[in-house]
Amino acid sequence: MLSGLLLVPLLVFMPEKGLWTRWRRRRQNMLRVWMEDALKALYNCEYKGISCDVGGLAGRLGISQDRVLQVLQKLRDQSLVKTEGEQVLLTRLGRSYALRIIRIHRIWESYLANETGMAETDWHRLADLREHELSMEEVNALAGRLGNPVFDPHGDPIPSATGELPRPKGMPLRDLPEGKEGIIIHLEDEPPEVYAQLVAMGLYPGMVVRMLEKDDKRLRFEAHGEELLLAPLLSSNVTVRALEEEDRVFDAGLSLLEVPLGEEVEVAGISRACRGQQRRRLMDLGIVRGNHIKPLFRAPGGEPTAYDVLGASIALREEQAKHIFVKRIQNDK
Amino acid sequence: MTNSECKSCPVHHEAHLRALGIDMSRYDFVVALAGNPNTGKSTLFNALTGLRQHTGNWPGKTVARAEGAFAFGESRYKVVDLPGTYSLLSTSTDEEVARDFILFGKPDVTVIVVDATRLQRSLNLVLQILEITDRAVLALNLMDEAGRHGIEVDVRGLSKALGVPVVPMVARSREGLPTLLQMIDEVATGAYRCKPRRLKMERRVVEEMVCSLEEKLAEVFPGVPNLRWVALRLLEGDQSMMEAVSEGHLGAYEALPESEPEEVLALAQELRWQLGTDFHDELMESIFSEAAKIAGKVVRMEGKKEAFSLDRAIDRVVTSRLWGFPIMLGLLALVFWLTIVGANYPSAMLSGLLVERGHPFLRDLFLSVGAPAWLTGLLIDGAYLSAAWVVSVMLPPMAIFFPLFTLLEDFGYLPRVSFNMDRLFKRVGAHGKQALTMSMGFGCNAAGVVATRVIDSPRERLIAIITNNFALCNGRWPLQILLATVFIGAVAPAHWAGVISAAAVVGVAVLGILFSLAVSWALSRTVLKGEASAFSLELPPYRPPRFWETLYTSFIERTLIVLWRAVVFALPAGMVIWLLANVHVGGLPLAEHFIRAADPVAMIFGLNGVILLAYLVAIPANELVIPTILMLTVMHLGMEGVAPGQGVLFELEDAQGIAEIFTAGGWTLLTAVNVMLFSLLHNPCSTTIYTIYKETGSAKWTALATFLPIGLGLLVCLLVALVAG
Repeated sequence: MLSGLLLVPLLVFMPEKGLWTRWRRRRQNMLRVWMEDALKALYNCEYKGISCDVGGLAGRLGISQDRVLQVLQKLRDQSLVKTEGEQVLLTRLGRSYALRIIRIHRIWESYLANETGMAETDWHRLADLREHELSMEEVNALAGRLGNPVFDPHGDPIPSATGELPRPKGMPLRDLPEGKEGIIIHLEDEPPEVYAQLVAMGLYPGMVVRMLEKDDKRLRFEAHGEELLLAPLLSSNVTVRALEEEDRVFDAGLSLLEVPLGEEVEVAGISRACRGQQRRRLMDLGIVRGNHIKPLFRAPGGEPTAYDVLGASIALREEQAKHIFVKRIQNDK
Repeated sequence: MTNSECKSCPVHHEAHLRALGIDMSRYDFVVALAGNPNTGKSTLFNALTGLRQHTGNWPGKTVARAEGAFAFGESRYKVVDLPGTYSLLSTSTDEEVARDFILFGKPDVTVIVVDATRLQRSLNLVLQILEITDRAVLALNLMDEAGRHGIEVDVRGLSKALGVPVVPMVARSREGLPTLLQMIDEVATGAYRCKPRRLKMERRVVEEMVCSLEEKLAEVFPGVPNLRWVALRLLEGDQSMMEAVSEGHLGAYEALPESEPEEVLALAQELRWQLGTDFHDELMESIFSEAAKIAGKVVRMEGKKEAFSLDRAIDRVVTSRLWGFPIMLGLLALVFWLTIVGANYPSAMLSGLLVERGHPFLRDLFLSVGAPAWLTGLLIDGAYLSAAWVVSVMLPPMAIFFPLFTLLEDFGYLPRVSFNMDRLFKRVGAHGKQALTMSMGFGCNAAGVVATRVIDSPRERLIAIITNNFALCNGRWPLQILLATVFIGAVAPAHWAGVISAAAVVGVAVLGILFSLAVSWALSRTVLKGEASAFSLELPPYRPPRFWETLYTSFIERTLIVLWRAVVFALPAGMVIWLLANVHVGGLPLAEHFIRAADPVAMIFGLNGVILLAYLVAIPANELVIPTILMLTVMHLGMEGVAPGQGVLFELEDAQGIAEIFTAGGWTLLTAVNVMLFSLLHNPCSTTIYTIYKETGSAKWTALATFLPIGLGLLVCLLVALVAG
């Protein structure tokens, strides 16, 4: 009886498959959602320079091929796409429509990442819902409040309000030559399962990796002093570019959490996983590359810990300290 | 505005200042006071302005502002104290307020207060301010502390490196103040021309990008002095700056006709894509590395750093496993004891003056001039009496509690309490500083809610605001003590009565703390899950508190504001209470109708109609609950000779007399227990509700903070009634 009562709200409010979410999705004009999703998918193909056909679209959108044809017909009627043989191409109008949706999606992801406490793996899903609901005016106002971000939290460039987007850069991780270093500039957030796996491995845009060895079955590379393995198929979801001489690199071997009380160390950087207000706060307090920091004492419960930063005592919890990377100070004398 | 012909003319922007809430009609120059927290900025502000100051909030913001004035030579100066910040580049409201004031208000002089013992840290803010304005004076404060710690600062070298005057001083003893005034005057009148140091980006490619944007800006806006700052802001995506450029005017400068401001924005957008996501990090790194360079040149340390060892020694004791908590509980108990004991006498005096003597006097006065009875009843028995009651019961404890609290804060101890308590509060999804706002709530919930401003993380601040009401405030203690003595003490053996009734009161307060923790936990995992959260806690250096200043500011900023709000709400409530008892419909007072209708429902919760009505009408202040219950019970029972008049609030000196009235009103032990619980768990008073609305700016959170405790209270009372029944 009691468990039955508990089950009802679960059925209604379960994320993704709950009745409420389903009802919400249905309520939004389904056809429009598919049309917008199709435009987005087509734009992605175009951006990456791969061809897109009906089968591929059906896979990406998770609907039947018949339905895709119906959606494409509708798009053709509004001159948003044109077909050339098997290939589906965007018209100028379609491209600007797609860029609008992408802008909304990526701004919303930036908002979730910087201004809310939502989990990283939820951003994409939530943005997929919101992108069909928000107007361009609302999003531009939101972007203004966020400091007009030009990259989303996955490292994707955000189309400007006037619909510009820079040319794609970089290469898939598997193209990075052995022994060479590269910087991750993008993590593909679709499909979500792969993205979750990449996040779980600790990869993030801005991370420096060094290719150790690669063959058909797996890639072996180094990041943060750790050796990681990845199947070549998954590695196409990681985009890198070669490291340049003046690039800012921080060596993220040691986290502040591991430094014993009383040892003064040098800040190497703050992990990309620490975002928004928290990140800026730490930097304002002087936790910036090159400055020194020293754990002083801990609270009676073992946490938080007070640190000396440029002469002031600042207390941080474990979850902040673990995102701060430091270097031991060498005693040359 | 910047008239190159007139070097001694003010440069401030009057229209913008007016929008920021500053009226310049009676002043020649405006001086902004900026600086890190804990650098003695407010001490300097007080030294500059004396008592010619007033405090308030920035327009549309919950950020406190103080402004004052001074005269020097022939000129009158207005001084505006900006919020203490570490930086101007982040998105916090404090920083936005400070940044906008310097940028758009264009103060004639910005005085940057700097801690001489931590120069390198302060230089971060200094360099940022010097990017915006070229009219600044550096007040190098706390030179005495620096001397004690063996720190020497090359003042001339610093002035040369920064390009602005540097005045070494000790604000506390007014040392260096005349020189500071002199330098403010020289910069304001243009006698001293600053040549502020401008930043360079560390990486060459980035520096080139900033320069290229600056050049593009110069094509469109020739002659604007701080284009580099504009360029940096554009590269950070600052919305207000982008709008200013796109509309074609930067401050008072117009874009050249024929030029294309949109091209600037397009270039900025292009550069930002090239810069990647790290620009803010790089900017901060460049600033700090510049600060390190300057500090390395001008600061000399004698001896070892161990000079700060006194602070460390105190910290080791007050945060130790052994002593941390006993010291904390001991100090809190002392503060409460001083408050309760110390408030008795002034409370009795105020009550004698305002209630026992003032009330009959005003009543007679009204009657003697022939005022109609209803008017006398409404204004004197209703409005005046309830306001007088609130003042006499509320003022003395707050006037003792808040200054004591502020003294501990000023000394630097309270942040250590947050530090010690943080782990517990982290477990329930809250901030360690909530320990402080909760303690403050024991004095007054409205003040506790205002105090949550110290929590600089949105989610944790909301949690602290919503749960503050679970701290049993000063206005509710008398009711707890009365009922515990009369009902709970009475059922205990005589020699244990005192201890058991005291334990009951403390038990209710502890229950409140438990509820506050449990509700924090639930909120952080449900409705507030998605709110942003950040943590950092500064442990400022210990400093001897400034006694008189503390008394003055805590009285003005905490006590009087809360008292004023309470009185404003008590006046109409007094009238309502009087009307309910005196307006008759169908032969019975309105209150009687309500009591009879509510009785059956209230009984289910182990309460009665009188109690519900009393809580309904005494919403302005919990202090009014006991007298209202007494008045309504006497009226309901038609008792003669007890009350001074129909609808007139009263209280009896001896507990026995009160006990008789309650028993006659049908109260049992269950009623008393449930009233004690309901007194802990009901809506905040109207002053607190209003304050919550002011602080959150949201009807949704205000409603949650109001109705959640009532719901819990009714639920708990129902459960107790069921168990007891």
